[in-house]
This record gives sequence, structure tokens and C-alpha cells, in this order.
Amino acid sequence: MEATQTRPMGGKQKEINVGRTERNASMVGGAALALSGLTTIAKRRLLPGLAMMAAGGMLMYRGKTGHCDIYESIGLDTGGSEDHGLTVEKFLTVNRLPQDVYEFWRHLENLPSFMRHLASVEVTGERTSHWKAAGPGGISVEWDAEIVEDYPGQLIQWHSVGDAEIPNEGLVEFREAPGGRGTEVKVTIRYYPPGGAAGKIAAKVAHALNAMEIEEDLKRLKQILETGETATAARSNGHH
Amino acid sequence: MKAVCWHGKHDIRVDKVSDPEIVNPRDVIVKVALTGICGSDLHLYNGKIPTMKPGDILGHEFVGEIVELGSAVTNLQRGDRVVVPFPISCGDCWYCKQGLWSLCDNSNPNSFLLEKMYGDTGAGIYGYSHLYGGYSGGQAEYVRVPYADVGLVKILPELSYEQVLFLTDIFPTGYQAAENCSIKPGDTVAVWGCGPVGLMAMKSATQLGAANVIGIDRFPDRLEKARANCNAEVINYEQADVAETLHNLTGGRGPDACIDAVGMEAQGTGLEAAYDNVKQTLRLENERPIALRQLIRACRKGGTISIPGVYSGFVDKMPMGAVFAKGLTIKTGQTHVHRYVRHLMQLIQLGEIDTTFIITHRMALEEAPGGYRLFNEKRDGCIKIVLNPKLQAGASA
Ligand SMILES: NC(=O)c1ccc[n+]([C@@H]2O[C@H](COP(=O)([O-])OP(=O)(O)OC[C@H]3O[C@@H](n4cnc5c(N)ncnc54)[C@H](O)[C@@H]3O)[C@@H](O)[C@H]2O)c1
Ligand SMILES: [Zn+2]
Ligand SMILES: [Zn+2]
Repeated sequence: MEATQTRPMGGKQKEINVGRTERNASMVGGAALALSGLTTIAKRRLLPGLAMMAAGGMLMYRGKTGHCDIYESIGLDTGGSEDHGLTVEKFLTVNRLPQDVYEFWRHLENLPSFMRHLASVEVTGERTSHWKAAGPGGISVEWDAEIVEDYPGQLIQWHSVGDAEIPNEGLVEFREAPGGRGTEVKVTIRYYPPGGAAGKIAAKVAHALNAMEIEEDLKRLKQILETGETATAARSNGHH
Repeated sequence: MKAVCWHGKHDIRVDKVSDPEIVNPRDVIVKVALTGICGSDLHLYNGKIPTMKPGDILGHEFVGEIVELGSAVTNLQRGDRVVVPFPISCGDCWYCKQGLWSLCDNSNPNSFLLEKMYGDTGAGIYGYSHLYGGYSGGQAEYVRVPYADVGLVKILPELSYEQVLFLTDIFPTGYQAAENCSIKPGDTVAVWGCGPVGLMAMKSATQLGAANVIGIDRFPDRLEKARANCNAEVINYEQADVAETLHNLTGGRGPDACIDAVGMEAQGTGLEAAYDNVKQTLRLENERPIALRQLIRACRKGGTISIPGVYSGFVDKMPMGAVFAKGLTIKTGQTHVHRYVRHLMQLIQLGEIDTTFIITHRMALEEAPGGYRLFNEKRDGCIKIVLNPKLQAGASA
């Protein structure tokens, strides 16, 4: 992704460097992510069962090395430097054309249908929108966002504006997968947590969960676009 | 409604639970007419598959009648009698489009668990742990069936529920296992395990052109079914050296293809079995791959190892050297049931294959706990138990 690509837009040729997303991406959804992640995972209460799976090779391995990969792998990636914000990057292939995936995403009101932490996104102008996120225990956060790059069928980049509590930025890129496999979607979300040591620790924890949240969000996006609904094992509409 | 629920290892109960509802537009609700207990359910019964929760409804083999439809299901109607494939598959993802239905990308809401364990997810499965989505199973009066517009196959009017029940799983599973053997004229196919899957694999191997079929087990009644119903030569592995007998039966070459219809709970004799038992008990190994090791040893050079038997974790002492030296091909996986239902239903209709010969017990739902015990211990000649929600306990045949 370090390559510089030339992308046509509105008749003009514009050069952008996709590879720089790592360093100066923009961002958003992440903020509110900080609020939600944990509950989903805690609710599932499945991790102990997985320890069983550690039988055989894994247990022996742990015995020898004092290290258990399963717990570690479930712990998710916790990398990221707080000083430059916390970044989550995820990839997923969707069995639809890039233009279709782009259009669904560009219609920002659709985001809450697959981004679980979002209560609503309201489009307020050509490039501006108002986002509401809901966390556990009635916590909610709102902010305004602005699209800063928009290449139909290729990418959308946005960031929060004004005095957002948790400034954030996001970039989503769409690339045609080889051999009719659909669209490779790459999402990069970065947020800048509130300062202070406590804030940083909390942010780190949140970050780890966010990686998983975003991955789950992407899977829901894929499900909606491919199957028209989101997968659930629920047996009734009331409770899960 | 009544449902057969898992409450722990060797603890199966029939509970009263709420009826399922339509949740998604592509759902239907099926009123269960018949439902089987599968060898795969025994892995749950014996606590070999993690992430089961007390109260989970079991069962992935069921046929019945549609009683309710979601708004997006237009190709089916109330009252349709249908076969429900055990993998829950969306029909829209790349894998489903390739015919790899059991590898569906979208149907497992807990995909992250399998991704952490195996690197990627498979399809959700009814009543088969939270690893496979946490879906409620078919050993119940009613079931919520997702993606019904692509999953369900209508039962031909002249066929009874019993005639088509095994299209949900074990017939396609045996068929895929045989298909994976790439059978050529003159081929000998050896099948470890003369349970329902093994017997279906033998029937299918013959159907696909195998010249000789050999069945291996230790239960005389199962070996007898293999001999009488599947036209197989049989080997009782407790009474004969399997590899040597196979060697002799094939003029010293070994079978062209070997099918493992046993899976991770293989029984064995002698030191090797003791070794695997101890390791599995101590959870240093998930599986007892006793049969699988034998398959690899016995198979002829350049032959195929086809594994419908379920494995879930790590196996120990796999003879990779033999796989390599003999240039073997290994094929395995959950069955892509959707691929086969229509074709196999036709074979049943034409009278070319009858699968009902494996049924040894017909029971009421309430009798499931005893049924699991019986099937697990292979007592009373038990090969296949079919549960019927309409039957009264005690009145069963
Ligand atoms: N791939 C799939 O999609 C799929 C579908 C259905 C079932 N299965 C699996 O297929 C396997 C068989 O299912 P089933 O319903 O026939 O179960 P089953 O328990 O009735 O049959 C297993 C048979 O294997 C025999 N056996 C045990 N150890 C043996 C050994 N060392 N050598 C030869 N035979 C041995 C047993 O005596 C028994 O008769 C199970 O692992 C089940 O989970 C897989
Ligand atoms: Zn099964
Ligand atoms: Zn699919």
C-alpha cells in the first residue's frame, strides 16, 4: 500500500498517497468504540470453553514454554502508540463490486446498521455529518464529522471536527479482488484518547477491544451486502 | 415446546423451552417431523467439543413441515415438506457460490472463535456448540431455519419423511466421502467405521463405481449391515490385524482409497490405544487418531485418504512420513450438503439407494436421554436412532 496511485475524480487527476494512512490518517468511528467493545465479548462468556481447546499441542506447548497462545490470541492486538493516537486497521473481502460497497458506505446513514456502537449518523451537508454513539450504561457521545477525501468506488476518508470529546478519523478503501472475488475492503480507524495516565490505560484496553469490534462491524457489513441480513442465532426477537 | 437439551457431559434432558420465532427475513420455522441422533452428537455428549452451554438445544438432522415464513422467502410455502441441510449457508458468499456450502463466510455469528482457533471460520451448524454459531438444534418440536430460500429442498410427494431424513447429513456425508476418493474402475475402497456414516459411504462408493468395498469395525451387528446391505467384505479389528488383512485382500497393494468414518473418538487395542487414551484423558491430545493412523499405513501408494470423521483439535503421532513417502492425497471437511440433496433424493426416488436400513430405533423426543446413552454405548444393536416428536414416550418401536 505504499504505492502512489493516480485516481481520477471530477475530471481532474489527483494524486494521493494511500500508504500514509498509517501516519496521518483521519478518523472517527473509533471514538465511540471506546465505549462499547467490552460488553459484547463479556456477554458471550465463551473464552473459558476455548481453554479446553488448548488441549493437546497447545497445553504441551504451554507446559514447555510457560506461554499460552490461545489466551494471547484472544487478547487481540494491543499495539499502537498513544502519542499519535490509537490505530485499528482491518481487512475483509466482500462478494460485491467496489462501487456497490462504496455506495453503501458513502450513504453514511447506513453505518449504524453494521457499526454496533453507533446510534445514528445524520447527514448535514455535502460532506458533513453528525454522529451519535451509544455505550453501556447510557453513556453517549456525539460529534460532527467531515469527509475530507471521496473517490467513488475507491475510498472515503473522514475526520471529526470541532471539539469532539475523543477526536477521531477514519479511512475506508475499496479495491477489486482478483478473479471475481468481490471487493477487498480496508478500514483504518484512529482516535486520540483524552490525556492523563488513566485515560491512556483505558484507551489501551478499549483499543484492544475496538480491533475486534471493527472486525465484527466489517463482518456485519459483509453480511448485509451479501445476504441482505445479519447472522444471528437468536430464537426470538425479544432476547438473544 | 419440547426440546432435547445439553446440560453437560453425559447429561441430556428434555426441557420445555419457548417456541422459536422468525427473526430475519429469510427465515422459516419448521415443525419437526423426524430428527436423527448423529455420531457427531456423541462428540458433544462426551464433552469433546468446547463452548457448549447448559440448555443448548441439540440436533442437526431434521426434516419437517414449514409452518411460518419470513418476508423474503418467496419460493416456499406453508405446508411444504422439506429437507434441512445441517450446515447453515447463506448462498451468497464466495464460498457458497463455489459450492463450498459448509465453509460459508456469513452464517456463523461467532466466527471470531473459529478464526482464533483455526485461522478462519466455517458455516454455522444447528445444535453444534457456540463455535459453530450457537444455533438451536433440530431435536425439538420447532426450529428456526435461516437462509431458508437457499437451504431447503422440497420432499418429493411420493417419498416419506423416513426415506429422506438422512439427506440432511449422513447420506451426503457418506457420498462426499466416496466422491472424495476419485473412484476409478477396479478400485477397492476400505471404510473404517460401520456406523451410519461408514455404511452410507460404502453404499455411495459402490454407486460411484468401486469394484470392492471393505468395512472395518468391531460390532458384529454393524459388520453384518455392511456385509448384508452394502455388499462389503468385513474386518473385525479386534479379531484381525487390519493392515495385514487389507494387504491380503488387495493382492498386496492396499486399498486404492481409505475412508475414516470414525473420527476423533476411535477405539483401539493394545499399547497404541492406551497411549492415546491417557493423553486424551489428560487433555494433552484432543483426539484418538487410531483409525486415521491405520488408514495412512494401509492405503496403497498414490491413494486417497478421505476423512468425513470429525476432528476438532490436535492429533499426535501422525505418520506424515508415510503420507509423504506414499504420495497420498488427503481430503476432508464438513459436508457441503446442499450440493447433494437433489441428486441423492432422485436416487432414493428411483429406488437405487434405500437408506432406511440403518434405522434400529424409533423413539419419542422424551426418550432422547436414554437414546444418547444407548447409541454412545452401542448397546441393543443400536446403529441409528430416529426421534419423532409426535410419538408418546413408551410407545416407541
Ligand atoms: N464430515 C461431516 O460433515 C460429518 C457428518 C456426519 C458425521 N460425521 C462424523 O462421522 C463419524 C462417524 O459418525 P457415525 O454417525 O457413523 O458415528 P458412530 O459412532 O455410530 O460410528 C462410528 C463407528 O466407528 C467404529 N470405530 C471406532 N473405532 C474404530 C477403529 N479404530 N477402527 C474401525 N472402526 C472403529 C465404532 O465401533 C462405530 O461403529 C463421526 O466422527 C461423526 O462426527 C461427520
Ligand atoms: Zn451429523
Ligand atoms: Zn455463504
